[in-house]
Amino acid sequence: MLPPMEINLDTLRCVTRLAGFDWTDAELDAIRPMVQRTLDMLARLEALPLGEVEPATQYRVL
Amino acid sequence: MSDLVWRSAAELGRLIAKKEVSPVELVRALLDRIAALDGKLRSFITVCGDQALEAARAAEAELMAGRVAGPLHGVPYGPKDLYNTKGIRTTGGSKILADSVPATDSTVVARLGTAGMLVLGKLNMHEFAYGPEGLNAHYGDAWNPWDANTHRVAGGSSSGSGVAVAAGLCPAALGSDTGGSIRIPCSLCGISGIKPTYGRVSRAGVLPLSWSMDHAGPMARTVADCALMLGAMAGYDPADPTTSVLPVPDYAAALTGEVKGLRVGLLRAHFTDVAAPEVRAAVDAAAKALEQAGAVVDEVNLTEVAHVAAASFAIVATEALAYHAGWLRARAADYQRDVRERLTMGALVSGVHYVRAQQVRQLVRAEVDAALARRDVLLAPATPIPAPVLGEKEARLGDGTSDVRSALIRFTRPFNLSGHPACSVPCGFTAGGLPVGMQFVGRPFDEATVLRAGDAYQRRTDWHTRRPVLA
Repeated sequence: MLPPMEINLDTLRCVTRLAGFDWTDAELDAIRPMVQRTLDMLARLEALPLGEVEPATQYRVL
Repeated sequence: MSDLVWRSAAELGRLIAKKEVSPVELVRALLDRIAALDGKLRSFITVCGDQALEAARAAEAELMAGRVAGPLHGVPYGPKDLYNTKGIRTTGGSKILADSVPATDSTVVARLGTAGMLVLGKLNMHEFAYGPEGLNAHYGDAWNPWDANTHRVAGGSSSGSGVAVAAGLCPAALGSDTGGSIRIPCSLCGISGIKPTYGRVSRAGVLPLSWSMDHAGPMARTVADCALMLGAMAGYDPADPTTSVLPVPDYAAALTGEVKGLRVGLLRAHFTDVAAPEVRAAVDAAAKALEQAGAVVDEVNLTEVAHVAAASFAIVATEALAYHAGWLRARAADYQRDVRERLTMGALVSGVHYVRAQQVRQLVRAEVDAALARRDVLLAPATPIPAPVLGEKEARLGDGTSDVRSALIRFTRPFNLSGHPACSVPCGFTAGGLPVGMQFVGRPFDEATVLRAGDAYQRRTDWHTRRPVLA
């Protein structure tokens, strides 16, 4: 995994456009702190030593 | 008759069956109370006055003809406004669905109807169930009834359900729980509620937030009422492929009041030890009370819980965005700001993140299973803090400060990820008069033991009988 990235407005604009959202720079700028917190959290998820743990791909239904 | 509105659903069912209380009289009393109080409390999005009275008259006619549907016959309740109700708008607390009128009932609403319950109205919620504070920019922020002077949040996302039941506006309600949305408002509003095992109750006809984390369940002033409702709601539903074919036990019959020999694991690290001091003291006292009643209490630490926040976020954000992407692209301005921003974060989660989150889910599930292999239930605070003031941003916990939102869901979310059943019950009050809640967590599909523990605790305490002073 790559180290977590600092996200600037251009990057954020690209990410949201890729997801299909056409948002203004003001709207994107407002969510940058939340974006940074989210990326930090996802980086922690990437760093976990999960090895060969089988993902929970099925509901546990009896 | 003002006392009528404070009777439990079970009591009301008994009084109705004995023809000592008329369902029509009961619905009128509740409608009067809603008219008097809900302008401030904001617990209802839609009040179904005419339909409820009509249903009450029909229930009464059935009763007079000798036909009683069951112990909840003629008892009114409120579904959170994400349960589809035939002919009654179901908004999801949103502007986007403000005029959406379903053609059919959700499975749970249909089943409660078969059990004789009446829909009094549709209850307020955090928009699209995506927030633990219970805020709503379109229909108003629900007001926690335990503080008449200061606007405190009710907890969410099932905020209206928590407020309406706590304030005596309806005896019971339905909530949904993706990260704690039943147990958080129960804790903050001083009522009881159960998030059943994933697969125990159908989600068909319930607006989704996150398909693999959503749970439907009852909320009421007593655990006994939750047991009655759950019995009527639970069971296999061909319309929800995740429901279990396991038979539904008689939950009410399981409420023996007995906890002698019950093995209770008090969750310490990441739970009780990091709660605010008054919450910690209340839960410790509850554990002692259970011990005095004959339970065997020991202490447990769950280490994998440290990873729950990131894993839950990855799953919920991805699934929520998958559901909302179309509306978010076309009608972003119609979402309330916090929900719009939260949904957008889903675009940052990759497929790899999602799978890694499912690996964490497997670890957490296995760890909770292991803790329950030698115990009947686990015990923890439901929330680390009592109801915050509206707009409060930070909460002080035992291990430092936290943003309020993260604090509210911290103790409940692990069991959405794992799917274990968890029942929230009131276990005390702060010096400032705010309720404190704790949760019993049980083995998969063993709601009966979870409910028995909660009910036994309520038979020995009076926290659940206290009423807020409403200005």
